Amino acid sequence: MRAPGSAIPEVAGVRGRHGGSGRGAVLRHGAAFGVVLWSLWAASVALAAGGQSRTFVVSFFAQQFTNYPGDCPGGVNPEDERGQIAFALRTMGYSGAEVRCLMVGWDQGGEGERKVNEILERRAVINGEPVNPMTHPEAVPDPQLKFVNAKQSVGFDLDGKQSADDFVDMITGKPGIDNQLFRSLGCNQNFRGSWTSPSAYGEWVWVQLRDSQPAWLMMITDAPSGKAGEVIVRIQRSFDHLRSNMDGSPRWHATYRADPDPRSFNEYRGYLRDGELTIPRQPRFSVLWNGLSAPVLNLSQFQLRLQQDSRGQWDGLIGGFQPWRELYFAFSHNGIVGDRPGLWHAMKKAADADPEPATGQNLAISVAYRFTAIPAFITPSGASVRTAMREGSKP
Amino acid sequence: MKKPARRVVVAGFAVGLIAVAAFFFWPESTPSSARVFQPPEVKASRLTPEQYRLAITDVFGAHIDLGGRLEPVMREAGLLVVGASSVSVTAAGMEQFDAMADAISEQVLMHDDNRRVFLSCAPAKSDQPDDRCASEFLAPVGERLFRRPLTEWELRSFVAAAAAATKALGDFHAGLSLSLSAMLTSPQFLFRIPVIEEDPDRSGGYRLDAYSRAARLSFFLWNTGPDAELLRAAREGELDSDRGFRRQVDRMMASPRLEEGVRAFFHDMLRFDTFETLSKDPALFPKFSRREMADAQEQTLRTLVYLLLDQQRDYRDAFTTKKTFLTPSLAAIYQVPLAHQGPNGGVESWEPFEFPAEDPRAGILSHASFTALHSPPGRTSPTDRGKALREVLMCQTVPAPPPDVQFTVVQNTEDPIHKTVRQRLIAHSTVPSCAGCHRIMDPMGLALENFDGAGEFRLVENGQPIDTAGDLDGMEFSNSLELAQVVRDNPAIPSCLVKRMTTYAFGQDFTQDQRVFLKQMRVRFRESGFKIPELMRTIVTSPEFFQAAPASDPVSVDALTAAVR
Repeated sequence: MRAPGSAIPEVAGVRGRHGGSGRGAVLRHGAAFGVVLWSLWAASVALAAGGQSRTFVVSFFAQQFTNYPGDCPGGVNPEDERGQIAFALRTMGYSGAEVRCLMVGWDQGGEGERKVNEILERRAVINGEPVNPMTHPEAVPDPQLKFVNAKQSVGFDLDGKQSADDFVDMITGKPGIDNQLFRSLGCNQNFRGSWTSPSAYGEWVWVQLRDSQPAWLMMITDAPSGKAGEVIVRIQRSFDHLRSNMDGSPRWHATYRADPDPRSFNEYRGYLRDGELTIPRQPRFSVLWNGLSAPVLNLSQFQLRLQQDSRGQWDGLIGGFQPWRELYFAFSHNGIVGDRPGLWHAMKKAADADPEPATGQNLAISVAYRFTAIPAFITPSGASVRTAMREGSKP
Repeated sequence: MKKPARRVVVAGFAVGLIAVAAFFFWPESTPSSARVFQPPEVKASRLTPEQYRLAITDVFGAHIDLGGRLEPVMREAGLLVVGASSVSVTAAGMEQFDAMADAISEQVLMHDDNRRVFLSCAPAKSDQPDDRCASEFLAPVGERLFRRPLTEWELRSFVAAAAAATKALGDFHAGLSLSLSAMLTSPQFLFRIPVIEEDPDRSGGYRLDAYSRAARLSFFLWNTGPDAELLRAAREGELDSDRGFRRQVDRMMASPRLEEGVRAFFHDMLRFDTFETLSKDPALFPKFSRREMADAQEQTLRTLVYLLLDQQRDYRDAFTTKKTFLTPSLAAIYQVPLAHQGPNGGVESWEPFEFPAEDPRAGILSHASFTALHSPPGRTSPTDRGKALREVLMCQTVPAPPPDVQFTVVQNTEDPIHKTVRQRLIAHSTVPSCAGCHRIMDPMGLALENFDGAGEFRLVENGQPIDTAGDLDGMEFSNSLELAQVVRDNPAIPSCLVKRMTTYAFGQDFTQDQRVFLKQMRVRFRESGFKIPELMRTIVTSPEFFQAAPASDPVSVDALTAAVR
């Protein structure tokens, strides 16, 4: 990538048609100062790190489900709404004949549909009283969703151990891959995907998130140690949405303001070798996220592995253990996922980390997220720019 | 041969040589006094779309929706304003004028808020004609629209039309609105119709009358009709005195509205109207949407105004300047950092920007308004870019391709053998009938090959490194930065600017008899340090600017009116 340009004070200070006084001039001075500030900031990061910075914006992010034929020998969980409803009725104890009768009414709409919905809304019961099954999934009988029964997946060895439930990474060939989210949900139609085609849920949720949440930024800087291949990787949020092109694709070389909020600030030592960027196991990764997914993306035992293509785009995975209840929070209000209480029970059973001391129930589940990033420019935080604008407007 | 005779021959040969040398090498700084400027014949010219918009804005305000668009004008002598002097109005075009006139007059007189502003009187009865009130409205509005006071007959006609319409419609304002609508479709508004008078300084010669002088001055400097002050100066004879005229010129040159004039000139010269029909393959150039197209034009116009008006810099620096203005969207195309400062979804602001010295971008040739505008939808075209440089900026004519030309080799961007456009052009240029013209276009265009069809930087094409070396009129360059310098130093660049700007000011192309004036302007431009405002002032203060000759084939206003109707 070429060295970026910068605005210069004398241009920013033009009077008359482009300059003059008032708010416009303040903005112009400020913006110019902001870009200068960016240069200084980027330079300081680079100097402190002893090397060059490369900056990117995350252009796709979603749970990675890499299915293949035969990975669900028990079959795929009911894939359409009708099937899910009938399945739920069966799990509630209705006989096959009763379910068929109810579904005829559901098909006809009106009173028959209302009756079925009422039954479904009452399927969660606490102390004899019906409760919302989405907010009280524990009170719904476990529909016993089918799990993936396969040896291969993608992800990371998060715990450093090899167990019977672990996978072999189908890209790297490494064993001990922890990805129980894939095992527990990978047989639900809307979660099924491949490396080249994300799951319907993944695609849908990304499209929703892309335009409703601030973009995520990544900066790679040569490490101060000067050791070959050693880098510092920073991942944080922006104040700006991901910029898109006219065809909806993410826009390369757009500029983003970095959000300095420490809740979304992550910095790690990583390794860059032969176009592959890796971050070995780290205790924690956290970024403010979105109500559509989870308010905060919290990962423990965080790892990253990305590959850069000839155009400069990164593509790969991040992974870690994620609180599965937070995942359920997202699923519970997204109809696209299918039988939601069933997902609760599936993740609960598959959870593989962070046991609750009192019950032994694991509170976190191993996950892998697809992560792609394209070249972008990053400026300091908007707050700093606004301050700089005020400073810059002084005579 | 005898010696004396031989001496005579030698002397004659020497004199001949000197004469030939003088013809070719006589410095331009000595304007020819032997050749006399022959004033151009007066011509009526139609308002350009932008002039129409500004005229309405001047009289009624920017909030008035024009309610339509004008039919396009053909470009002549490299300029739309010249084409505008040889166009008529088609039936469909007239329908547009009519619809726009109705829309404008309805907003002005039938909307209460506007009427309170524009109509200072009230009719005695709202359903009856009121000639006094109609006249109070139509006279001043007519003066602004026609760029001269209405004649008594004209005013009487428009007032009578308002009265008749009021009787028919039973509404004074609706009747007045129809009369205003008629005014807006009058050739006196839609066309600039110069009126000439005897020139007191040239026996037997003619010049524009005061109002026509005011109009020519105003359309050149501000791209719109005269304001109230200039009309007053014309009415009171102030423009007849050198002092009074120069006072008006000084006022107009100092006005912020001069920027409108400069922008309009460059918009026309650089052919930005052709952005209207520009399209890009979104699969190949997804960044380049209509917004970026609009921003690209604005970037160049802002840069030129900043450089040439605000900074009063040498015009030639426009080809090498690193300074410009960008929006965040354009910055992404140029691959430079520029953050959006407002809220998400807010309007992007323009920010000053300077490309670093090592950046391959310098000057307006590296702007997307040049590289993208002069590229086909799905690829680059060094030929198109080179042709544009020759024709638009150097005022040279490139012959049309031969009728049997085959572009297949050039257009096949997936050719496995000729991976770069340079290779494809070399293959294409093996055809002798093509080679000559390509030699004068392609080398400059190839220097800009680092900018793709949407103006974005690239180093390779189909995996092959791009070679940007070439030459322009014998001056070699190896990349776009060196091309920018070579273009800047080419004498055709300022010469062309003088030709275009002078032609633009007169609104018509120059004949051989009038080119002596161009020569004078070139000299004055060079002496001023190639300053645009100085050239504009030199043009408008030259005696020739208002000189005119009667039309050899005069078109009367009546004929124009008949054509319009």
